[in-house]
Amino acid sequence: MKKISLEVNGVQENQEVEVGTTLLRFLRDTLDLTGTKEGCNEGECGSCVVLLDGRPVNSCLVLAVEADGAKVTTIEGLSPDGVLHPIQKAFLAHTSIQCGFCTPGMVVTAAALLKECPDPSEDEIRKALAGNLCRCTGYRQIVDAIRDAAAAMRTKEAVREKVSA
Amino acid sequence: MSAARVVGQDVPRVDGLEKVTGAAKYTADLKFPRLLHVAVVRSPHPHARVRDVRTGKAARLLGVRAVASGRDFPLHTGIYLKDQTVFATDRVRFVGDPVAAVAAETPEAAAEAALQVEVDYEPLPPIFDVEEGMAEGAPLVHPDLGRYEVVSWIQPKAGTNVCNHLKIRKGDYEKALKGSWRVFENVFKVPQVQHVPLEPHVSVARVDLAGKVEVHTSAQSPFTVRHLLSVCFGLPHGDVRVHVPYVGGGFGGKAGINLEPIAVALAMRCRGRWVRLMVDRHEEFYATVVRQGLTATLVTGVDRSGKVQAQKMHYLWNCGAYGGYGVNIVRAAGYTCGGAYEFPNVWGDSIGVYTNRPVGSAYRGFGMQEIHWALEQQMDEVALELGMDPVEFRLLNCLGAGKATVTGQVLDEQSGRVDLCIRKVAGEIGLEAAREKRPYHGKGIACAVKAPAMPNDAASSVVLKFAEDATLEILISGIDYGQGLMTVAAQFAAEALDIPVETIRVKGCPDTDLSPYDWQTVASRQTWATGNAVLRAASEIRRKLTETSAEVLGVPVAELTLRSGHVVHEATGRSIPLTRLVMGYQFPDGHAIGGPVVAASSYLPEGLLFLDPETSQSAKPVAKWTFGAQAVEISVDPETGQVTVEKVAACYDVGRVVNPGLIRGQTYGGIVQGIGTGTMEELVVDTKTGRALNASLMDYKIPSTEDVPAVMTVDFIETPQKDGPMGARGIGEHTMIPTPAAIANALYDACGIRIHELPITAEKVWRALREREKAREEAAREAGAAIAGAGVGV
Amino acid sequence: MKAEADGDDDAGAEILVSTEHLAPFPGLGRETRIKSQCTWNVAPRGGAGKRGLMRSDLDYVVPSTVEEAVALQAGSSGAVYLLGGTDLLPQMRAGRKDPGRLIDLKRIPLLREVRETEGGGLSIGAAAVMADVEIHPVVLARYPLLAECVKTVGAWPLRQRATLAGNVCNASPAADTAVALLALDATLNLVSAQGRRSIPVSAFFRGPGQTALRPGELMTDVILPAASAGFTGSYLRLSRRKGMDLATVGVLVGKRNGKLTLAARWRIALAAVAPTPLRVPDAEQVLEAKGSIAVWEAAELAVAACRPITDLRGSAEYRRDMVGVLVRRGVVGLG
Repeated sequence: MKKISLEVNGVQENQEVEVGTTLLRFLRDTLDLTGTKEGCNEGECGSCVVLLDGRPVNSCLVLAVEADGAKVTTIEGLSPDGVLHPIQKAFLAHTSIQCGFCTPGMVVTAAALLKECPDPSEDEIRKALAGNLCRCTGYRQIVDAIRDAAAAMRTKEAVREKVSA
Repeated sequence: MSAARVVGQDVPRVDGLEKVTGAAKYTADLKFPRLLHVAVVRSPHPHARVRDVRTGKAARLLGVRAVASGRDFPLHTGIYLKDQTVFATDRVRFVGDPVAAVAAETPEAAAEAALQVEVDYEPLPPIFDVEEGMAEGAPLVHPDLGRYEVVSWIQPKAGTNVCNHLKIRKGDYEKALKGSWRVFENVFKVPQVQHVPLEPHVSVARVDLAGKVEVHTSAQSPFTVRHLLSVCFGLPHGDVRVHVPYVGGGFGGKAGINLEPIAVALAMRCRGRWVRLMVDRHEEFYATVVRQGLTATLVTGVDRSGKVQAQKMHYLWNCGAYGGYGVNIVRAAGYTCGGAYEFPNVWGDSIGVYTNRPVGSAYRGFGMQEIHWALEQQMDEVALELGMDPVEFRLLNCLGAGKATVTGQVLDEQSGRVDLCIRKVAGEIGLEAAREKRPYHGKGIACAVKAPAMPNDAASSVVLKFAEDATLEILISGIDYGQGLMTVAAQFAAEALDIPVETIRVKGCPDTDLSPYDWQTVASRQTWATGNAVLRAASEIRRKLTETSAEVLGVPVAELTLRSGHVVHEATGRSIPLTRLVMGYQFPDGHAIGGPVVAASSYLPEGLLFLDPETSQSAKPVAKWTFGAQAVEISVDPETGQVTVEKVAACYDVGRVVNPGLIRGQTYGGIVQGIGTGTMEELVVDTKTGRALNASLMDYKIPSTEDVPAVMTVDFIETPQKDGPMGARGIGEHTMIPTPAAIANALYDACGIRIHELPITAEKVWRALREREKAREEAAREAGAAIAGAGVGV
Repeated sequence: MKAEADGDDDAGAEILVSTEHLAPFPGLGRETRIKSQCTWNVAPRGGAGKRGLMRSDLDYVVPSTVEEAVALQAGSSGAVYLLGGTDLLPQMRAGRKDPGRLIDLKRIPLLREVRETEGGGLSIGAAAVMADVEIHPVVLARYPLLAECVKTVGAWPLRQRATLAGNVCNASPAADTAVALLALDATLNLVSAQGRRSIPVSAFFRGPGQTALRPGELMTDVILPAASAGFTGSYLRLSRRKGMDLATVGVLVGKRNGKLTLAARWRIALAAVAPTPLRVPDAEQVLEAKGSIAVWEAAELAVAACRPITDLRGSAEYRRDMVGVLVRRGVVGLG
């Protein structure tokens, strides 16, 4: 067992973990943050994507000990106090959700994308999400939602800049 | 009913907020105290006699709490044909067949113990292909087939590998064939493919000290799970309780029972403890079910006008090791064998064959995508060979009002319009005969039809009740695993009672102890069956509310209406808010009437008749048909063989669009899943060892974002279904049925080659193009030689 | 589709007493997909033997310097270096690798750096993640072919962890980054308790999963030489689906114009068509001698150089033909 200390969704966590425990299992089993899903456990499906120090990662391919000292954001951390992230709002508006199992990973990956690339083309969205599998939706409404969320976030950003200027 | 305000609107998913925030709980998300973990011992042999299973060593290991194997659980189960036990008893029939299982305090201990279970196998010759299975003297996968219990409308043949055989005999096929102007014969094949729901199967069970069984499971059909568990453990239904939380996709793979019996068997061995069997993605490929393989032989005889006169269809289904569920696919494919076409003279055989492959079962389309792969290519080829436009040929031969299906059912005006769907998608893609052709760029079309494949008495029921603030609670047991049933149920209730959707809570994660009965979430039947039940229950609610209000207001019931959460008397403008009615109305003097307003209602399809056992003729064999068509535009890379699906147009006659966003999502999803089956998916089984060679998402590819066509157009025709809720009929499965065949037809249009066996991989196209090139060169050489030869003569 | 599997070791046996059940964790290892060998549920000798699980006594250490890392490795048996873990963790779970100790190199600051070398080349630290490499300004300006190849590896989230060094050390025949490094004459800097050495990447790959790494040796960085700057071109790749899939065939074609057109330099490297990724010097030379007019000849030389196998992703015959097609396309694309 190793002691780790990390910040998850803004909360400091100090826990003991076995070295072989993945970040995914740690989040789900130890912290009961079950929004992050296990779909394949080999980095092929994207259901387990979380932000590790701001970067989107497959949490099934990260050991919890590797996240010692890091800041982790899961799907649960995107809507603190019930205020939805613009991507979450767009997913609801575009009917981008079906069974919902891929949704948390999709939303988290998309959030990372829009942070790095506020105005992605459709092609860029598809490429960034190519590792997030969905068997239900055919992806169309997911891509549409992300484009819309990007536009909404840019507008909000522009307004904020105007106000501060 | 007045013009719809809610039905037909883009109402956001009622479960959307839970799912988008990560709050929604799926089975693996549930926490159980002192949970035990399961490892299953599975057969490494495709076919072997099991001489002995020794579990003693495993049972003695540290942390092991229960070991179970075949001898302890001898009862058979199966939804239609009871051909399977919890664990293999005397023989194993596929690689992955469960032989024993262990429950232990940690996954590690369970795994270690499973490795210590000793099994004596005597290998038997395996069968992998249907042709082998049908051969005279073939090894029998189920020598006891004649002794299995089976429903009356499934016909297994004892002493063979045939688990069901449905015959369609309509008109005089032989005579019509002889009278045909031209005859076409082709063979088409479909491999086994897997569902790949994003959530792997998982089941948790506990047997308490009083013997009550409780199960939490990722399944499509809680009541069928309860029923089949009761059957295979010999328990009263009332002592089995099944909970289904949110389900991460199913597509048929979670219909019936899967892992549940193993979890329950172990739970029986360690009463009071929760036992969880959770397969990982790799084991998912072995432990669960697949789409049945198909070999289809079609013979089509046409007259000079291009009308099909004689049609023979021989479907051989590779059912894999067990046919409990799959036998009904064989049946459905039989009574739908002619697809969306009117064939006056039909000779059809749909035969299910046991093999030592993974277990075949329901997969979105339930046999329809497979037979349409064959039928729709056949129709295309016949049209082109006759020099007819494939669209016109389809319009000439397709079903419609007044025309008879292969079972002799004459369709009426409410049955839906495939002709309109054909025209719509042909227009969207630009399939006009005179279109300009570009090399290696093609367009193709395929139709689709499907009826709900279910027992004639498959029913749904619902309960509607109110909370104190007039929040309407709807209890359903249909599973919303993405298709949107919870939202649709809320829309129907909101519409019928004129209350805002926001004041409705749909309880969509059923508990068989408390929730109303529902047969199964399969067959694209939920919007229709549960929808009808909701509307019926809503009328009952309306009756209760208005009766109480009539007494309060002193007016006739007939003069009262429901409007915006009130019971209103239009003439006087007086009204009572529902909040004052739902728990009973109290008068100013203190006396009260009415009482908590609750209604339960159900829906069972009416007037369905069995098929004739010899000819399968029946005036009404199914509840409804949903027709549709898709057309696609593709480009082909002539050097690599890669096919790019650029545009897909889909159109279905759904009776009534209940929620445009949801139905578009269903259609986009079906198209892309169809592209998966069409171009990349196949569970490859090594025919020497019987082992799946691509049992991981690294090797078994499903479409990702980059495989989605740039353009997908989706349209709907709304010919109301007479017995549908506000005219709606099923659509869930239909959306993936025609896609592979449409791609195949577009491939022929693009470069003149036909792929008869799914999937259409780049390498198959490359090979076919090379062979065609070789044939052309050969022909040119011969022609050259002929000319040279002729020259000598002169 | 023909997919080879292992011999039927059960053939002929009358009754088999078997504890080699499919479960609890049936295993067709990742190598299976390359070598078509069937590793059943039981892991290779020395493996944990239980698919899906990690050993409970696994140790994890975090050195802060290269020297410390090397010392830790030398001081323990069964220790392996951990970079992104995107290959190592699945291999451990599949029971094919069973280290007792993981030495995490990601917290050694030096190894995370991407910096220009004194000689004008670029050093990419072993722990630099692919997602950073593919957008690094120097990579994009001077070694765009590397960015092209890196972008095709896995998914975007995977590349936030995966490293160039890890991809190279894993030595998959289909390693997409390896073709770029081969084409750009990269040098690998290695260090062990015995000292430091540098070897050209061309001498590194020995076979599927086999490399020139000595026991305990650590790769500190990959050097792209100044002399290789300026090559442009494309990495053309066929896979079963369009996004995120292993290459069925990968072909890199690069070119750098000299002052005179005739002085152009060419690079051709192939993935997934031989036991190791490979360069095709013959094809490069013929293009350098005759210009792009020799495209057919170059393609034929590339086809002759490859030694593909038949597996789930494609037949040897198809792969061979595709090498020709993609080389031609790459060359024509560069004019």
